[in-house]
Amino acid sequence: MEASADIAAPPAWVAGLRRNDAATVRTLYQKHFPAIRQYVLQNSGTGNDAQDMFQEAMTVLWMSVKEGRLVPDTDPGGFLYRVAKNKWLDVVRSAARKHMKVVHSEQVLDHRADATDDIEERIVRLRGVYDKLDDKCRTVLDQFYFERKDLATIAAGMGVEEESIRTIKYRCMMKLRAFRRTISGEDQQAI
Amino acid sequence: MSNGALDRTTFEAIEAYVLDRLDADERLGFERRMAADPTLRVEVELERENILAIELGGMERMLKEVREGHSEQREQGGGWTTWLKYAAVVAILLSGALWFTLRPSASERLFTEHFAPEPGLPVAMGSTAAHAFNDAMVAYKLGDHDEAISKWSVLLKERPSSDTLRYFIGCAELNAGRPERAAPMLLTVADQEGSAFAQKAQWFAFLALVRNGDRNAAKAIRFSPGNPYGAKAEAILSEFE
Repeated sequence: MEASADIAAPPAWVAGLRRNDAATVRTLYQKHFPAIRQYVLQNSGTGNDAQDMFQEAMTVLWMSVKEGRLVPDTDPGGFLYRVAKNKWLDVVRSAARKHMKVVHSEQVLDHRADATDDIEERIVRLRGVYDKLDDKCRTVLDQFYFERKDLATIAAGMGVEEESIRTIKYRCMMKLRAFRRTISGEDQQAI
Repeated sequence: MSNGALDRTTFEAIEAYVLDRLDADERLGFERRMAADPTLRVEVELERENILAIELGGMERMLKEVREGHSEQREQGGGWTTWLKYAAVVAILLSGALWFTLRPSASERLFTEHFAPEPGLPVAMGSTAAHAFNDAMVAYKLGDHDEAISKWSVLLKERPSSDTLRYFIGCAELNAGRPERAAPMLLTVADQEGSAFAQKAQWFAFLALVRNGDRNAAKAIRFSPGNPYGAKAEAILSEFE
């Protein structure tokens, strides 16, 4: 999972995240979650808080890979730890948790060093787009775009014809395209 | 972003570009089109972002699954495993008692053994007139039977004699677990001579009546000569006493 000696090829974990590979996600979890868990538990958090922070950090890492925003030779463990830690510090500093004791508060400085704020804003915006999809569209689109299954495989799994899946996919994507007109700021780009 | 419709050919060309499924020549050609067409460039960016949104949804689902696979059991105390063992024994006893109480009746068992849902018709891009029917068919194929019934029922008001609409509404009712509503709808098609759906309507109406426990009504269904479901129906009736 570490960086390859071959300069042209991305590290295996980057290639894995790029193709939404479940084994890569599990490996990153097993390898890097314990450090984040330890940090959150040391700083008044629970195991569930640690899971939340890790999940958020993994989403930021995945999006950074998808957007080609990672600095070469990025260490995934360091990246995940910094993002999760900064997110936890944000939680701890929030009004509801003012009473908590925070260890290593000087590391707040890391918050700016990662510069993932715009990625995080983008994640929030894209979640809003995904939320517009109904369950039946998600069933088909997830399999095609996320799991990268071909139309014939999806059709066989759902017991329908390939042409039907192709039509459903087109219609669902057109629904999404229409929804996008309502998202703020998008209307200004109308041609 | 263009406010007009995006035809399927253009949509799929953009999709192939965004998913990197074009060969070098096709890619070059598409990029030339983009360079000359600002509307196309906007559509490409929009589709790229929509696909990314879908991938994000998938990734967050995957992360949740990984998380659930590594639940925080180690935070629990030492009595956890012992408690689990007792809970498992109680659960087994309870499920045995529940099975005995709620075991399926003969009609439920026969229905479950023999029922395979109608798969529906292929949904292709067609005329505007067929759009409403196909829209409901999409819902049917995806298991959203109430939505399909609601859309087809609107069309049935306009074309009350349509055997196609009656047949698929009946099938959707049966799939949704409402045999008492499926049977009368399917029986109107089963008796319709010359209907392409008559034979299958006879079979599904029969199964709906079996599911309802109405053996006499099921027995009264007249299967057309040569209907391959006729023999199966007789075998089911012999078991259904």
